[in-house]
Amino acid sequence: MSYWAILSGIEGNLAAYEAVLKEIQRQRVEALFVLGDVISPKADNEKLINRLTSPRRGELVPQVCQGWWEEQLLILHGLGRVGEPTELIDRYGIQMTKTLWDSVPRHLVQWIQSLEFGIFEFDCLLIHGSPVSVSDELTPETPPIQMLDRVMRMDANYLFCGRSGLAFEYEVQQGKVLTTVTTLDRQSEPEPTSLRPRKIIGVGNIGRTAGQATYTIYNPDTNALKFCTVRYDSAKGFQTKR
Amino acid sequence: MRTAVLSCIHGNFEALNAVLSDVDDQNVDRLFCLGDLVGYGPHPNAVVEMIRSLDIPTVQGCWDEDVVEGLNACECSYPSLLAEKRGRQAHEWTNQEIHPEVRAFLAQLPHTLRDGNLCFVHGSPHSNHEYLLPEIDAFVAMERVLSTGADILFCGHTHVPYVRSLDSGELQIKIQQSKQDQSISFTTPLKRIVNAGSVGEPRHGRPNATYVIYDDSTDQIALREVEYDYQKTCAAIVEKGLPAIFAWRLSKGMEFAERADDPTHICER
Repeated sequence: MSYWAILSGIEGNLAAYEAVLKEIQRQRVEALFVLGDVISPKADNEKLINRLTSPRRGELVPQVCQGWWEEQLLILHGLGRVGEPTELIDRYGIQMTKTLWDSVPRHLVQWIQSLEFGIFEFDCLLIHGSPVSVSDELTPETPPIQMLDRVMRMDANYLFCGRSGLAFEYEVQQGKVLTTVTTLDRQSEPEPTSLRPRKIIGVGNIGRTAGQATYTIYNPDTNALKFCTVRYDSAKGFQTKR
Repeated sequence: MRTAVLSCIHGNFEALNAVLSDVDDQNVDRLFCLGDLVGYGPHPNAVVEMIRSLDIPTVQGCWDEDVVEGLNACECSYPSLLAEKRGRQAHEWTNQEIHPEVRAFLAQLPHTLRDGNLCFVHGSPHSNHEYLLPEIDAFVAMERVLSTGADILFCGHTHVPYVRSLDSGELQIKIQQSKQDQSISFTTPLKRIVNAGSVGEPRHGRPNATYVIYDDSTDQIALREVEYDYQKTCAAIVEKGLPAIFAWRLSKGMEFAERADDPTHICER
Protein backbone atom coordinates (compact mmCIF):
# COMPACT_ATOMS: atom_id res chain seq x y z
CA MET A 1 0.00 0.00 0.00
CA SER A 2 1.42 3.39 -0.96
CA TYR A 3 0.79 6.91 0.17
CA TRP A 4 1.09 10.49 -0.98
CA ALA A 5 2.47 13.20 1.29
CA ILE A 6 0.85 16.54 0.55
CA LEU A 7 2.41 19.72 1.91
CA SER A 8 1.73 23.41 1.56
CA GLY A 9 3.20 26.69 2.81
CA ILE A 10 6.80 25.83 3.56
CA GLU A 11 7.37 29.60 3.38
CA GLY A 12 11.13 29.26 3.26
CA ASN A 13 11.24 27.35 6.55
CA LEU A 14 13.92 24.78 5.80
CA ALA A 15 13.98 23.34 9.33
CA ALA A 16 10.29 22.55 9.12
CA TYR A 17 10.68 20.99 5.69
CA GLU A 18 13.59 18.85 6.88
CA ALA A 19 11.53 17.67 9.85
CA VAL A 20 8.66 16.64 7.56
CA LEU A 21 11.00 14.91 5.10
CA LYS A 22 12.47 12.92 7.96
CA GLU A 23 9.02 11.95 9.15
CA ILE A 24 7.67 10.85 5.76
CA GLN A 25 10.73 8.70 5.12
CA ARG A 26 9.39 6.47 7.87
CA GLN A 27 6.12 6.02 5.99
CA ARG A 28 5.54 4.28 2.67
CA VAL A 29 5.25 7.53 0.76
CA GLU A 30 5.60 7.17 -2.99
CA ALA A 31 4.79 10.72 -4.07
CA LEU A 32 5.45 14.10 -2.52
CA PHE A 33 3.35 17.10 -3.50
CA VAL A 34 4.05 20.67 -2.43
CA LEU A 35 1.07 22.97 -2.97
CA GLY A 36 2.84 26.29 -3.25
CA ASP A 37 4.01 29.07 -0.97
CA VAL A 38 7.44 27.54 -1.00
CA ILE A 39 8.96 30.99 -0.63
CA SER A 40 8.39 33.81 1.82
CA PRO A 41 9.75 37.36 1.72
CA LYS A 42 11.85 36.98 4.85
CA ALA A 43 13.38 33.56 4.36
CA ASP A 44 16.48 32.12 2.74
CA ASN A 45 14.56 31.05 -0.33
CA GLU A 46 17.65 30.06 -2.30
CA LYS A 47 18.59 27.41 0.23
CA LEU A 48 15.06 26.06 0.35
CA ILE A 49 14.62 25.98 -3.43
CA ASN A 50 17.97 24.23 -3.82
CA ARG A 51 16.83 21.64 -1.29
CA LEU A 52 13.57 21.10 -3.19
CA THR A 53 15.16 20.86 -6.61
CA SER A 54 18.12 18.69 -5.56
CA PRO A 55 16.78 15.91 -3.34
CA ARG A 56 19.32 13.65 -1.71
CA ARG A 57 19.86 10.07 -2.76
CA GLY A 58 16.80 7.96 -1.99
CA GLU A 59 14.55 10.98 -1.41
CA LEU A 60 11.43 11.67 -3.42
CA VAL A 61 11.43 14.40 -6.06
CA PRO A 62 8.69 16.78 -4.94
CA GLN A 63 6.04 17.88 -7.42
CA VAL A 64 5.54 21.56 -6.72
CA CYS A 65 2.78 23.91 -7.86
CA GLN A 66 2.55 27.66 -7.63
CA GLY A 67 1.39 29.44 -4.48
CA TRP A 68 0.37 32.97 -3.57
CA TRP A 69 3.89 34.20 -2.80
CA GLU A 70 5.23 32.73 -6.03
CA GLU A 71 2.45 34.44 -7.99
CA GLN A 72 3.27 37.79 -6.34
CA LEU A 73 6.95 37.42 -7.20
CA LEU A 74 6.12 36.63 -10.83
CA ILE A 75 3.90 39.70 -11.01
CA LEU A 76 6.83 41.82 -9.77
CA HIS A 77 8.94 40.35 -12.58
CA GLY A 78 6.24 41.06 -15.15
CA LEU A 79 5.50 37.35 -15.53
CA GLY A 80 2.24 37.04 -13.59
CA ARG A 81 -1.36 36.69 -14.71
CA VAL A 82 -2.00 40.34 -13.86
CA GLY A 83 0.12 43.38 -14.48
CA GLU A 84 0.16 45.13 -11.12
CA PRO A 85 1.01 43.74 -7.64
CA THR A 86 -2.16 45.28 -6.24
CA GLU A 87 -3.02 42.40 -3.92
CA LEU A 88 0.48 42.31 -2.44
CA ILE A 89 0.50 46.06 -1.77
CA ASP A 90 -3.03 46.04 -0.35
CA ARG A 91 -2.08 43.29 2.09
CA TYR A 92 1.44 44.18 3.10
CA GLY A 93 2.17 47.73 1.89
CA ILE A 94 4.43 49.04 -0.85
CA GLN A 95 7.65 48.16 1.01
CA MET A 96 6.87 44.48 0.61
CA THR A 97 7.43 44.70 -3.15
CA LYS A 98 11.15 45.34 -2.57
CA THR A 99 11.42 42.84 0.30
CA LEU A 100 9.90 40.10 -1.84
CA TRP A 101 11.93 41.06 -4.92
CA ASP A 102 15.16 40.89 -2.91
CA SER A 103 14.28 37.57 -1.27
CA VAL A 104 14.61 35.45 -4.42
CA PRO A 105 17.75 35.58 -6.60
CA ARG A 106 16.96 36.31 -10.21
CA HIS A 107 18.30 32.98 -11.51
CA LEU A 108 15.61 31.14 -9.48
CA VAL A 109 12.70 33.09 -10.97
CA GLN A 110 12.67 30.84 -14.02
CA TRP A 111 12.16 27.81 -11.79
CA ILE A 112 9.26 29.56 -10.08
CA GLN A 113 7.79 30.48 -13.44
CA SER A 114 7.98 26.83 -14.51
CA LEU A 115 5.70 25.70 -11.67
CA GLU A 116 2.26 24.44 -12.62
CA PHE A 117 -0.88 26.27 -11.47
CA GLY A 118 -2.19 22.94 -10.22
CA ILE A 119 -1.54 19.21 -10.54
CA PHE A 120 -4.12 16.63 -11.59
CA GLU A 121 -3.37 13.07 -10.46
CA PHE A 122 -5.98 10.31 -10.79
CA ASP A 123 -9.24 11.99 -9.69
CA CYS A 124 -7.44 14.48 -7.42
CA LEU A 125 -6.74 18.13 -8.06
CA LEU A 126 -3.80 19.40 -6.02
CA ILE A 127 -3.64 23.20 -5.97
CA HIS A 128 -2.68 26.11 -3.73
CA GLY A 129 -5.94 28.10 -3.72
CA SER A 130 -8.57 26.74 -6.09
CA PRO A 131 -9.11 26.54 -9.86
CA VAL A 132 -10.29 30.15 -9.62
CA SER A 133 -6.98 31.61 -8.39
CA VAL A 134 -4.07 31.16 -5.98
CA SER A 135 -5.76 33.75 -3.75
CA ASP A 136 -8.99 31.80 -3.38
CA GLU A 137 -9.00 30.64 0.25
CA LEU A 138 -11.21 27.64 0.95
CA THR A 139 -12.05 26.93 4.59
CA PRO A 140 -14.82 25.01 6.38
CA GLU A 141 -16.64 28.35 6.63
CA THR A 142 -16.72 28.88 2.86
CA PRO A 143 -20.33 28.67 1.55
CA PRO A 144 -21.11 25.02 0.62
CA ILE A 145 -22.15 25.84 -2.93
CA GLN A 146 -18.85 27.67 -3.47
CA MET A 147 -16.89 24.68 -2.17
CA LEU A 148 -18.79 22.42 -4.54
CA ASP A 149 -18.22 24.78 -7.45
CA ARG A 150 -14.46 24.80 -6.87
CA VAL A 151 -14.16 21.02 -6.89
CA MET A 152 -16.52 20.68 -9.87
CA ARG A 153 -14.69 23.21 -12.01
CA MET A 154 -12.05 20.64 -12.88
CA ASP A 155 -14.43 17.72 -12.42
CA ALA A 156 -12.27 16.31 -9.62
CA ASN A 157 -13.50 14.06 -6.83
CA TYR A 158 -10.86 15.35 -4.41
CA LEU A 159 -9.51 18.86 -4.22
CA PHE A 160 -6.43 19.28 -2.04
CA CYS A 161 -5.65 22.90 -1.22
CA GLY A 162 -3.29 24.82 1.02
CA ARG A 163 -4.19 28.50 0.90
CA SER A 164 -5.92 28.65 4.29
CA GLY A 165 -3.17 26.75 6.10
CA LEU A 166 -5.89 24.77 7.88
CA ALA A 167 -6.11 20.99 8.02
CA PHE A 168 -9.67 19.87 7.34
CA GLU A 169 -11.75 17.35 5.44
CA TYR A 170 -14.88 18.76 3.85
CA GLU A 171 -17.21 16.30 2.18
CA VAL A 172 -20.16 17.16 0.00
CA GLN A 173 -21.93 13.89 0.68
CA GLN A 174 -24.99 14.37 -1.47
CA GLY A 175 -27.00 17.02 -3.21
CA LYS A 176 -30.07 17.47 -5.34
CA VAL A 177 -31.80 20.17 -7.30
CA LEU A 178 -34.81 20.22 -9.59
CA THR A 179 -34.33 22.03 -12.89
CA THR A 180 -36.64 23.17 -15.66
CA VAL A 181 -35.52 24.84 -18.87
CA THR A 182 -37.84 26.94 -21.01
CA THR A 183 -36.75 28.09 -24.46
CA LEU A 184 -38.65 29.83 -27.26
CA ASP A 185 -39.66 26.45 -28.64
CA ARG A 186 -40.16 24.16 -25.67
CA GLN A 187 -40.41 23.68 -21.94
CA SER A 188 -38.70 20.71 -20.34
CA GLU A 189 -40.23 18.58 -17.60
CA PRO A 190 -38.74 19.20 -14.14
CA GLU A 191 -35.56 17.13 -14.03
CA PRO A 192 -33.91 16.07 -10.78
CA THR A 193 -30.13 16.33 -10.68
CA SER A 194 -28.00 14.70 -8.03
CA LEU A 195 -24.26 14.58 -7.53
CA ARG A 196 -21.61 12.12 -6.52
CA PRO A 197 -19.74 12.76 -3.26
CA ARG A 198 -16.76 15.09 -3.52
CA LYS A 199 -14.16 16.18 -1.01
CA ILE A 200 -12.17 19.33 -0.40
CA ILE A 201 -9.15 18.80 1.81
CA GLY A 202 -7.19 21.53 3.52
CA VAL A 203 -3.70 20.04 3.80
CA GLY A 204 -2.34 22.18 6.65
CA ASN A 205 0.76 24.35 6.69
CA ILE A 206 4.43 23.52 7.09
CA GLY A 207 6.33 26.68 7.79
CA ARG A 208 4.08 29.36 9.24
CA THR A 209 4.06 28.26 12.89
CA ALA A 210 7.55 27.88 14.34
CA GLY A 211 8.14 24.44 15.84
CA GLN A 212 5.07 22.82 14.33
CA ALA A 213 4.41 21.57 10.80
CA THR A 214 1.14 20.03 9.63
CA TYR A 215 0.72 18.04 6.43
CA THR A 216 -1.53 15.38 4.90
CA ILE A 217 -1.00 11.74 4.09
CA TYR A 218 -3.37 10.31 1.48
CA ASN A 219 -3.82 6.80 0.18
CA PRO A 220 -5.00 7.00 -3.45
CA ASP A 221 -6.06 3.33 -3.38
CA THR A 222 -8.35 3.52 -0.38
CA ASN A 223 -8.87 7.32 -0.26
CA ALA A 224 -7.90 7.27 3.42
CA LEU A 225 -6.70 10.60 4.80
CA LYS A 226 -4.51 11.39 7.77
CA PHE A 227 -3.38 14.78 9.07
CA CYS A 228 0.09 14.65 10.62
CA THR A 229 1.77 17.20 12.84
CA VAL A 230 5.52 17.21 13.30
CA ARG A 231 7.08 19.11 16.18
CA TYR A 232 10.64 20.23 15.66
CA ASP A 233 13.20 22.48 17.28
CA SER A 234 12.66 25.77 15.49
CA ALA A 235 15.44 27.57 17.39
CA LYS A 236 17.92 25.10 15.94
CA GLY A 237 17.60 26.24 12.41
CA PHE A 238 14.67 28.38 11.38
CA GLN A 239 16.81 29.59 8.49
CA THR A 240 15.77 33.19 8.60
CA LYS A 241 17.70 35.10 6.03
CA ARG A 242 20.36 37.31 7.54
CA MET B 1 -43.45 46.30 -12.40
CA ARG B 2 -42.56 45.02 -15.86
CA THR B 3 -38.85 44.93 -16.67
CA ALA B 4 -37.53 44.36 -20.19
CA VAL B 5 -33.99 43.01 -20.50
CA LEU B 6 -32.03 43.24 -23.75
CA SER B 7 -28.61 41.88 -24.58
CA CYS B 8 -26.03 41.46 -27.34
CA ILE B 9 -27.19 44.17 -29.74
CA HIS B 10 -23.89 43.97 -31.64
CA GLY B 11 -24.20 47.13 -33.69
CA ASN B 12 -27.50 46.06 -35.24
CA PHE B 13 -29.52 49.29 -35.22
CA GLU B 14 -32.43 47.85 -37.21
CA ALA B 15 -32.94 45.09 -34.68
CA LEU B 16 -32.64 47.48 -31.73
CA ASN B 17 -35.31 49.77 -33.18
CA ALA B 18 -37.64 46.84 -33.72
CA VAL B 19 -37.16 45.61 -30.16
CA LEU B 20 -37.69 49.07 -28.68
CA SER B 21 -40.95 49.36 -30.64
CA ASP B 22 -42.05 45.99 -29.30
CA VAL B 23 -41.10 47.07 -25.77
CA ASP B 24 -43.34 50.13 -26.25
CA ASP B 25 -46.27 47.83 -27.05
CA GLN B 26 -45.75 45.62 -24.00
CA ASN B 27 -46.47 48.08 -21.16
CA VAL B 28 -42.92 47.85 -19.91
CA ASP B 29 -41.94 50.09 -17.01
CA ARG B 30 -38.18 49.96 -17.38
CA LEU B 31 -35.33 48.44 -19.38
CA PHE B 32 -31.95 46.92 -18.58
CA CYS B 33 -29.25 46.06 -21.10
CA LEU B 34 -26.67 43.29 -20.67
CA GLY B 35 -23.94 44.69 -22.92
CA ASP B 36 -22.23 43.75 -26.17
CA LEU B 37 -23.53 46.92 -27.77
CA VAL B 38 -20.81 46.71 -30.42
CA GLY B 39 -19.00 44.10 -32.52
CA TYR B 40 -20.02 42.08 -35.62
CA GLY B 41 -22.63 44.64 -36.69
CA PRO B 42 -22.41 47.73 -38.92
CA HIS B 43 -23.80 50.47 -36.64
CA PRO B 44 -21.94 50.48 -33.30
CA ASN B 45 -22.10 54.26 -32.80
CA ALA B 46 -25.83 54.52 -33.51
CA VAL B 47 -26.60 51.67 -31.11
CA VAL B 48 -24.56 53.15 -28.27
CA GLU B 49 -26.07 56.59 -28.85
CA MET B 50 -29.58 55.12 -28.66
CA ILE B 51 -28.86 53.26 -25.40
CA ARG B 52 -27.26 56.39 -23.94
CA SER B 53 -30.06 58.71 -24.99
CA LEU B 54 -32.68 56.43 -23.44
CA ASP B 55 -30.59 56.23 -20.27
CA ILE B 56 -30.93 52.43 -20.11
CA PRO B 57 -28.92 50.91 -17.23
CA THR B 58 -26.32 48.76 -18.99
CA VAL B 59 -23.53 46.39 -17.99
CA GLN B 60 -20.34 45.91 -19.97
CA GLY B 61 -20.20 43.01 -22.41
CA CYS B 62 -17.12 41.12 -23.58
CA TRP B 63 -17.00 42.99 -26.91
CA ASP B 64 -17.41 46.33 -25.13
CA GLU B 65 -14.57 45.33 -22.79
CA ASP B 66 -12.32 44.20 -25.63
CA VAL B 67 -12.87 47.39 -27.61
CA VAL B 68 -11.95 49.46 -24.57
CA GLU B 69 -9.06 47.41 -23.27
CA GLY B 70 -7.80 45.80 -26.48
CA LEU B 71 -7.94 42.13 -27.41
CA ASN B 72 -5.97 40.24 -24.82
CA ALA B 73 -7.43 36.76 -24.80
CA CYS B 74 -5.55 33.59 -25.53
CA GLU B 75 -6.51 31.32 -28.42
CA CYS B 76 -9.36 30.04 -26.25
CA SER B 77 -11.60 32.87 -27.50
CA TYR B 78 -11.87 31.29 -30.92
CA PRO B 79 -12.62 27.72 -31.95
CA SER B 80 -10.38 27.91 -35.04
CA LEU B 81 -7.81 30.07 -36.77
CA LEU B 82 -10.42 31.08 -39.33
CA ALA B 83 -12.85 32.17 -36.62
CA GLU B 84 -10.05 34.08 -34.94
CA LYS B 85 -9.17 35.85 -38.17
CA ARG B 86 -12.78 36.94 -38.71
CA GLY B 87 -13.19 37.95 -35.08
CA ARG B 88 -10.07 40.09 -35.23
CA GLN B 89 -11.27 41.72 -38.45
CA ALA B 90 -14.55 42.66 -36.78
CA HIS B 91 -12.73 43.89 -33.69
CA GLU B 92 -10.35 46.07 -35.71
CA TRP B 93 -13.16 47.47 -37.85
CA THR B 94 -15.23 48.33 -34.76
CA ASN B 95 -12.19 49.75 -33.00
CA GLN B 96 -11.57 52.17 -35.87
CA GLU B 97 -15.23 53.02 -36.40
CA ILE B 98 -16.35 54.01 -32.92
CA HIS B 99 -16.26 57.62 -31.77
CA PRO B 100 -14.20 58.65 -28.71
CA GLU B 101 -17.32 59.43 -26.66
CA VAL B 102 -18.71 55.98 -27.49
CA ARG B 103 -15.49 54.35 -26.30
CA ALA B 104 -15.62 56.47 -23.13
CA PHE B 105 -19.22 55.37 -22.53
CA LEU B 106 -18.32 51.68 -22.95
CA ALA B 107 -15.33 52.10 -20.61
CA GLN B 108 -17.44 53.25 -17.68
CA LEU B 109 -20.03 50.48 -17.86
CA PRO B 110 -20.16 48.30 -14.72
CA HIS B 111 -19.63 44.54 -14.73
CA THR B 112 -22.76 43.91 -12.66
CA LEU B 113 -26.00 45.70 -11.80
CA ARG B 114 -28.26 44.80 -8.87
CA ASP B 115 -31.84 45.80 -8.28
CA GLY B 116 -33.56 44.16 -5.32
CA ASN B 117 -33.59 40.40 -5.90
CA LEU B 118 -32.47 40.79 -9.53
CA CYS B 119 -28.91 40.73 -10.80
CA PHE B 120 -27.76 41.67 -14.29
CA VAL B 121 -24.50 40.50 -15.91
CA HIS B 122 -23.28 39.89 -19.45
CA GLY B 123 -21.67 36.43 -19.26
CA SER B 124 -21.67 35.29 -15.65
CA PRO B 125 -21.07 36.91 -12.25
CA HIS B 126 -17.47 35.68 -12.52
CA SER B 127 -16.58 36.81 -16.02
CA ASN B 128 -17.92 38.62 -19.08
CA HIS B 129 -16.53 35.73 -21.11
CA GLU B 130 -18.18 32.79 -19.36
CA TYR B 131 -21.10 31.15 -21.19
CA LEU B 132 -23.99 30.10 -18.98
CA LEU B 133 -25.48 27.55 -21.34
CA PRO B 134 -28.83 25.96 -20.41
CA GLU B 135 -27.17 22.54 -20.13
CA ILE B 136 -24.38 23.41 -17.67
CA ASP B 137 -24.42 21.35 -14.51
CA ALA B 138 -27.33 22.37 -12.29
CA PHE B 139 -25.12 22.87 -9.23
CA VAL B 140 -22.70 25.06 -11.17
CA ALA B 141 -25.68 27.08 -12.40
CA MET B 142 -26.95 27.35 -8.83
CA GLU B 143 -23.58 28.65 -7.65
CA ARG B 144 -23.64 31.38 -10.29
CA VAL B 145 -26.98 32.68 -8.99
CA LEU B 146 -26.17 32.25 -5.30
CA SER B 147 -22.83 34.05 -5.67
CA THR B 148 -24.77 37.22 -6.51
CA GLY B 149 -27.17 37.05 -3.56
CA ALA B 150 -30.06 37.51 -6.04
CA ASP B 151 -33.03 35.27 -6.82
CA ILE B 152 -32.94 35.87 -10.57
CA LEU B 153 -29.75 36.21 -12.56
CA PHE B 154 -30.17 37.84 -15.97
CA CYS B 155 -27.38 37.09 -18.45
CA GLY B 156 -26.72 37.12 -22.18
CA HIS B 157 -23.57 36.20 -24.14
CA THR B 158 -24.86 32.87 -25.57
CA HIS B 159 -27.33 34.60 -27.94
CA VAL B 160 -29.96 31.93 -27.21
CA PRO B 161 -32.73 32.93 -24.78
CA TYR B 162 -33.91 30.62 -22.05
CA VAL B 163 -35.24 30.49 -18.50
CA ARG B 164 -33.71 27.91 -16.19
CA SER B 165 -35.42 27.27 -12.86
CA LEU B 166 -33.37 25.71 -10.08
CA ASP B 167 -35.71 24.58 -7.36
CA SER B 168 -35.41 22.81 -3.99
CA GLY B 169 -31.59 22.83 -3.98
CA GLU B 170 -30.05 20.76 -1.18
CA LEU B 171 -26.54 19.81 -0.11
CA GLN B 172 -25.46 17.54 2.72
CA ILE B 173 -22.04 18.41 4.11
CA LYS B 174 -19.78 16.66 6.58
CA ILE B 175 -16.77 18.48 7.99
CA GLN B 176 -13.92 17.01 10.01
CA GLN B 177 -11.54 19.46 11.59
CA SER B 178 -9.39 19.16 14.72
CA LYS B 179 -10.84 15.67 15.29
CA GLN B 180 -14.37 17.09 15.48
CA ASP B 181 -17.20 16.16 13.14
CA GLN B 182 -19.87 18.55 11.99
CA SER B 183 -22.80 17.99 9.63
CA ILE B 184 -24.48 20.77 7.71
CA SER B 185 -27.67 20.75 5.66
CA PHE B 186 -27.75 23.47 3.05
CA THR B 187 -31.00 24.32 1.30
CA THR B 188 -31.95 27.00 -1.14
CA PRO B 189 -35.33 28.18 -2.47
CA LEU B 190 -36.15 28.71 -6.14
CA LYS B 191 -33.44 30.48 -8.11
CA ARG B 192 -33.55 31.31 -11.78
CA ILE B 193 -31.16 32.09 -14.62
CA VAL B 194 -32.75 34.11 -17.40
CA ASN B 195 -30.81 34.45 -20.62
CA ALA B 196 -32.08 37.41 -22.64
CA GLY B 197 -30.84 36.03 -25.97
CA SER B 198 -29.63 38.53 -28.52
CA VAL B 199 -31.19 41.57 -30.12
CA GLY B 200 -28.70 41.89 -32.96
CA GLU B 201 -27.05 38.51 -33.55
CA PRO B 202 -29.50 35.75 -32.60
CA ARG B 203 -28.45 32.11 -32.62
CA HIS B 204 -31.66 30.30 -31.79
CA GLY B 205 -32.23 29.18 -35.38
CA ARG B 206 -34.22 32.10 -36.71
CA PRO B 207 -33.09 35.63 -37.66
CA ASN B 208 -35.54 37.39 -35.32
CA ALA B 209 -34.36 39.57 -32.46
CA THR B 210 -34.96 38.22 -28.95
CA TYR B 211 -35.29 39.76 -25.48
CA VAL B 212 -37.18 39.03 -22.22
CA ILE B 213 -39.77 40.69 -19.99
CA TYR B 214 -40.02 39.98 -16.28
CA ASP B 215 -43.24 40.87 -14.46
CA ASP B 216 -42.65 40.96 -10.71
CA SER B 217 -46.36 41.09 -9.88
CA THR B 218 -46.95 37.66 -11.46
CA ASP B 219 -43.34 36.46 -11.19
CA GLN B 220 -43.60 35.47 -14.86
CA ILE B 221 -40.86 35.70 -17.45
CA ALA B 222 -41.75 36.04 -21.12
CA LEU B 223 -39.27 35.28 -23.91
CA ARG B 224 -39.96 37.67 -26.78
CA GLU B 225 -39.09 37.12 -30.45
CA VAL B 226 -39.37 40.11 -32.78
CA GLU B 227 -39.28 40.09 -36.56
CA TYR B 228 -37.47 42.91 -38.34
CA ASP B 229 -35.84 43.62 -41.68
CA TYR B 230 -32.63 41.71 -41.02
CA GLN B 231 -31.68 41.84 -44.69
CA LYS B 232 -31.08 45.56 -44.31
CA THR B 233 -28.49 44.82 -41.63
CA CYS B 234 -26.98 42.02 -43.71
CA ALA B 235 -26.55 44.41 -46.64
CA ALA B 236 -24.92 47.00 -44.39
CA ILE B 237 -22.47 44.37 -43.02
CA VAL B 238 -21.32 43.55 -46.55
CA GLU B 239 -21.30 47.20 -47.63
CA LYS B 240 -19.09 48.25 -44.70
CA GLY B 241 -16.52 45.57 -45.51
CA LEU B 242 -17.16 43.33 -42.51
CA PRO B 243 -16.72 39.56 -43.11
CA ALA B 244 -19.67 38.36 -45.21
CA ILE B 245 -20.07 35.32 -42.94
CA PHE B 246 -21.54 37.66 -40.30
CA ALA B 247 -24.35 38.57 -42.72
CA TRP B 248 -24.89 34.93 -43.60
CA ARG B 249 -25.20 33.77 -40.00
CA LEU B 250 -27.43 36.73 -39.11
CA SER B 251 -29.78 35.70 -41.90
CA LYS B 252 -29.84 32.12 -40.57
CA GLY B 253 -30.01 33.02 -36.89
CA MET B 254 -27.32 30.54 -36.02
CA GLU B 255 -23.70 30.20 -35.11
CA PHE B 256 -21.73 28.85 -38.04
CA ALA B 257 -20.38 25.35 -37.62
CA GLU B 258 -17.47 26.34 -35.41
CA ARG B 259 -18.11 26.25 -31.70
CA ALA B 260 -15.74 26.41 -28.78
CA ASP B 261 -14.90 22.99 -27.33
CA ASP B 262 -15.20 24.21 -23.76
CA PRO B 263 -17.67 27.07 -23.42
CA THR B 264 -17.11 27.28 -19.65
CA HIS B 265 -13.42 27.96 -20.09
CA ILE B 266 -12.47 31.40 -18.85
CA CYS B 267 -9.41 33.05 -20.31
CA GLU B 268 -7.08 34.03 -17.49
CA ARG B 269 -5.61 36.97 -19.39
